[in-house]
Amino acid sequence: MGSGAQSEIADALARLWTKFLPDILERVCVLESAGAALSAGTLGAEERAAAAAAAHKLAGVLGTFGLAEGTALAREAEASYSANSASDLVGAPRLRQIAIELDKIIRTRG
Amino acid sequence: MLRDGLRMSLLAAAAGEPGGVLRAVMSHRILIIDDEDDIREVAALSLETVAGWDVAVASSGAQGLVRAAEYNPDAILLDVMMPGMDGPSTFRELRKNPLTARIPVLLLTAKVQSNDQRRFADLGVEAVLFKPFDPLTLSAQIAGALGWS
Repeated sequence: MGSGAQSEIADALARLWTKFLPDILERVCVLESAGAALSAGTLGAEERAAAAAAAHKLAGVLGTFGLAEGTALAREAEASYSANSASDLVGAPRLRQIAIELDKIIRTRG
Repeated sequence: MLRDGLRMSLLAAAAGEPGGVLRAVMSHRILIIDDEDDIREVAALSLETVAGWDVAVASSGAQGLVRAAEYNPDAILLDVMMPGMDGPSTFRELRKNPLTARIPVLLLTAKVQSNDQRRFADLGVEAVLFKPFDPLTLSAQIAGALGWS
C-alpha cells in the first residue's frame, strides 16, 4: 500500500474518531458510574451487566484506533464486571482508576 | 459482468507507485454484520480503502440475514456479541438458507478467552478474527484466512 493510501485511511480514521468520540466517552461514563456504585455498595446486576458491555465495546474499539493501552484496561474491567460472583470483582478503587485512565487516554488522543 | 463478486477492476495505482500506472486487482464483496457503528464504519473504511473491496453493512443479525441473501457477498464478517440474534445464532441461520449456506463466514470478536475461541471455532466458521483489528491489515487477514491471493 502506498503512502497516499495510508494517509487517506489515517485521515478517514481521524474523522471517524471525532464522529464516534461522544459514544466512546459515554461508555467510559458507564464505567465511572458502575465504579461509584460499587464503592457505595449499590451496584446492581443490571448496572454491572451494562458496565461489562461498555468495557467489552471499549476493548474492541480503542485498539482499532491505535489505543492498545485502552484496550488492555477495558479488558481488565470487562473481566471483572463479567465475573460470576461479587467476590471475583477486583476492588472498587481499581475499577474507578481504570475509568479515570480510560478517560484520560481517550481525551489525550483527541 | 463477472459473477460472485470476483470482478476485475482497474484501479489507479496507489500513490507512491512509480508512474501512477493502472493495475488490475481482484475485487471482492464483503458483508459486515456488527451492531457497533464505530467498528462497522472503521471495518468498511478499511476494506474499501486498503483493499478496494465492495462492502455492504448490516447492524443486526436479522438485518444481516436479509442483506446476505440480497447482496450475495463473497464473505461475511460477523460480530459475535450483538443484542437479539448474536453472531453464532446468525451464523446458524445463514447456514439454513440455501441462498447463504455456502458463503464463508468469519467471526469478529473482542473475546480473548481460550474457551470462547474454541467454542467459536467449533461452529464451523472459516476463521475467527479479533478486535481490536488493525485497519491497515484487516483485508490481508481476511484474504489470508480465505486463501484469496
